[in-house]
Amino acid sequence: MRQVLIILAAVLALVAGPAQAAKEWGIDGEEVAQFEAKAVDVLCELTGDCPKNCGAGKRQMGLLSDDGTLRLAIKSNTLFAGAVLDLLAWCGKRVEVDGLLIKADPMTFYMVQRLRAPGAKKWTNARAFSKAWATENKQKNASRWFRKDPAIKALIKEFGPVGIPGATIPKD
Amino acid sequence: MRQVLKQLALVLAITAWVAFAWSGAAWAKTSGATTSGATPGAKRVTVTGEIVDTWCNVTMIMFAEGSAHYQCAVWCAVGGIPVSIKDEDENVYVVLRVEGEQSNVAAPSIVRIQAHQVTVEGDLIERDGVKYLLVTQVADDQGIVNLSHQDTAIQPFGK
Repeated sequence: MRQVLIILAAVLALVAGPAQAAKEWGIDGEEVAQFEAKAVDVLCELTGDCPKNCGAGKRQMGLLSDDGTLRLAIKSNTLFAGAVLDLLAWCGKRVEVDGLLIKADPMTFYMVQRLRAPGAKKWTNARAFSKAWATENKQKNASRWFRKDPAIKALIKEFGPVGIPGATIPKD
Repeated sequence: MRQVLKQLALVLAITAWVAFAWSGAAWAKTSGATTSGATPGAKRVTVTGEIVDTWCNVTMIMFAEGSAHYQCAVWCAVGGIPVSIKDEDENVYVVLRVEGEQSNVAAPSIVRIQAHQVTVEGDLIERDGVKYLLVTQVADDQGIVNLSHQDTAIQPFGK
């Protein structure tokens, strides 16, 4: 009975382990990367132009490692959304991130999938944009937010879905 | 007297050498400033290329160029994903500032010109595998010239 329980626990660990780690996307040059770094306003880090609170959501954010390496964080777990709001909560502080480091041909950057305080057990899913969008737009959730966002709808109405007013759109 | 003249000549020679070396260093510094950008450590550049959505374009998770991808590029720009300029040599320049604007997240000035072909002047800072561009002037905006929607369905999800 004891052996059965041990085997069952091992199987559960194998199944649960990968499910908790960062999700791979199959992108060329990607690697799962979990590390500690300081969350920084990238423009501040590069130029010394540093508004309060990392620009309060209006500045691209990055992860500055102890060895001085700066990783631009460009994507979160929300569809079509960046990681600015996820990292903003950690502005100037150390954070542990889990996600994908993508070393593509033209550039290297990071996709944040989850975050936590260094040493903490519990991870937070990198979906701060979804929460903020739903709150701001008085929606229950941010499902298909990109189809409902007022600013996007206004732009598509003005320029059309291909960015050229009056353009003929071929069938899909 | 002859000894004094020799010493005087030596002092003059050393003074002249020091003055020459100093002026050379000063010239080099000034010369460097003319090729550097206004931002310390930056290089002044002119870039011509298409405004692209950095995530979709660089990861190649979908076709992400021109008018067929315009709608998605707007979604990503409004969603706060960095916007870049991709030149004909496939260099990708992440735009961190446009003409003094303080915001580089969903900034209206750049959200409105997704997929446009532009020529910009600015300061280039390269660090850890990324070319960051601080645009000081949008010198030319040709609008959308890559009419990829004529050959490709709207990416992704269609209209």
